[in-house]
Amino acid sequence: MIEVQHLSKRYGRVTAVDDISFKVERGEILGFLGPNGAGKTTTMRMLTGYMPPTDGRAIVAGFDVFDQPIEAKRRTGYLPETPPLYTEMTVREYLQFVARIKLPKGVSSADRKARVDQVMQKTWIADMADRHCGKLSKGYRQRVGLAQAIIHNPEVLVLDEPTAGLDPKQIIETRELIRSLAGDHTIVLSTHILPEVSQTCQRVVIINKGRVVAIDTPANLTAQLRGSSGLYVQVDAFEGDAAAMLARVPGVLKVTPADRQGSAAGFEIDVEAGRDVRRDLSREVVGSGWGLLELRPLRISLEDIFLELTTDEPRQEPEVPADA
Amino acid sequence: MRNVMAIAGKELRGYFASPIAYVVMGFFALLFGMFFNAYLGAFMQQSMQMAGFGGGSMNVNMNLVRPLFGNASVVLLFVIPMITMRTYSEEKRSGTIELLLTSPLTDAEIILGKFLGALGLYLAMLAVTLLYMAILFWAGNPDWKPIAAGYLGLFLMGASFIAVGLLISNLTKNQIVAGTATFGVFLLLWVVSWIGEGFGPRVQAVLSYLSIIEHFDDFAKGVIDTKHLVYYLSFITFGLFLTAKSVDSERWRG
Repeated sequence: MIEVQHLSKRYGRVTAVDDISFKVERGEILGFLGPNGAGKTTTMRMLTGYMPPTDGRAIVAGFDVFDQPIEAKRRTGYLPETPPLYTEMTVREYLQFVARIKLPKGVSSADRKARVDQVMQKTWIADMADRHCGKLSKGYRQRVGLAQAIIHNPEVLVLDEPTAGLDPKQIIETRELIRSLAGDHTIVLSTHILPEVSQTCQRVVIINKGRVVAIDTPANLTAQLRGSSGLYVQVDAFEGDAAAMLARVPGVLKVTPADRQGSAAGFEIDVEAGRDVRRDLSREVVGSGWGLLELRPLRISLEDIFLELTTDEPRQEPEVPADA
Repeated sequence: MRNVMAIAGKELRGYFASPIAYVVMGFFALLFGMFFNAYLGAFMQQSMQMAGFGGGSMNVNMNLVRPLFGNASVVLLFVIPMITMRTYSEEKRSGTIELLLTSPLTDAEIILGKFLGALGLYLAMLAVTLLYMAILFWAGNPDWKPIAAGYLGLFLMGASFIAVGLLISNLTKNQIVAGTATFGVFLLLWVVSWIGEGFGPRVQAVLSYLSIIEHFDDFAKGVIDTKHLVYYLSFITFGLFLTAKSVDSERWRG
């Protein structure tokens, strides 16, 4: 549905986007993740035909965004970082204007009105229909922006930080709305909020300094970067004894005391890769007459992956022996 | 065309939803009225004097309408920048330009829409002054054709100014900068014929041909000369063409 091939954007000497390629399948939600200034917005702007790339191309719904811009734009809905609202118009007037410029020529004005009403229902803004856009709260602005993006029922939706600046309740509602739009629409959304990605997206593109550093499902990314798997155990016992005992369980590599509340002691345990020691571990703890309070795998969050991939510490690379 | 009209309608709505339309129309009507009043007073005094000497009568068209239009054309220098300064600047500042440029619209449709919207407000502004003309027809017996020619001239000159204003508004996010720069350029286009005086007759002929206001006097007199029609129409076309180029180049720069 979306195909981005070797897309680059340079402003003078500054390279904002550097040779990005990815594909999005029909009905998928793709998360675009990166720190501020990584090139997310620039990529989205090229994808929506707002600006041409310096190199490479983008194909949306079968149309090259730069060779057939009108066809591509007809099939794309775009919510920019700041919702593009005309403050002096009411919500209804605004959506009617957008419907006029975005819906195909044959659509009658009655159908246009019906579509506007339908979209306002869908994005929960019907109660604000006659309010001026300039007087809306941030949450409503965002939703009107979303309504504007989906009004022509586009195959592709590009959402630039759709939940930025919303309160927690609105964030949850917006995410639900986005999820409900997937299926009918193929969605690319950018964010720098990590839980959002694991909650809404099927696949993630992490970009940093204009380059793609990883593309995968959130689950795979987590798995890949976890390396050897770890466990967290909390037992009701004296710390020293417990640590020594836990270390004796076969497959355990290392036991690190993590926290302590009263007589309950928590440990983080490194385990040999590919070996499940939970049964042995629990039997050992209970057999010793202690209470097993908690036992769970330690997960690396997307946050850790993100930091790992995007922080600037030089990676340790194997030294290449110099040819004599 | 449907898209052009949609944009033009949006522009007009924008003008009338903000104070701009009312300020511009009120300001223009007020100044036009003051000039009207002054010329009418002078005209009546002179007519009276001439009648006293027993020699003929004054011509309303030549002695009242023509200088009135001449002054109105100068007022446009101040008023048109107020109309055009927001056209692109405001869209860029508020980010709504992203909506227009990612909608299935061509640049030409957007530019023409904005041009027609501004022209619509300008026409409304001119329409208010018809009231003064109605007074002339009620009290006197002027010839309507030169007046119509004068309005055609005002219309063409205003349209030329609007084309330039659109171009300048596309160059900045800041309305005030756009407005001031537009005013400066208009002034330059106006006085360019004076500058030529030191450069000999040939240069001066070229510069005064370029001066936007030099071409207006014939219209004010009631003469529709194709030379001036061509000048204004090519001026408008060129202005809109440059705006299109500028929109395209801004897109590349992001």
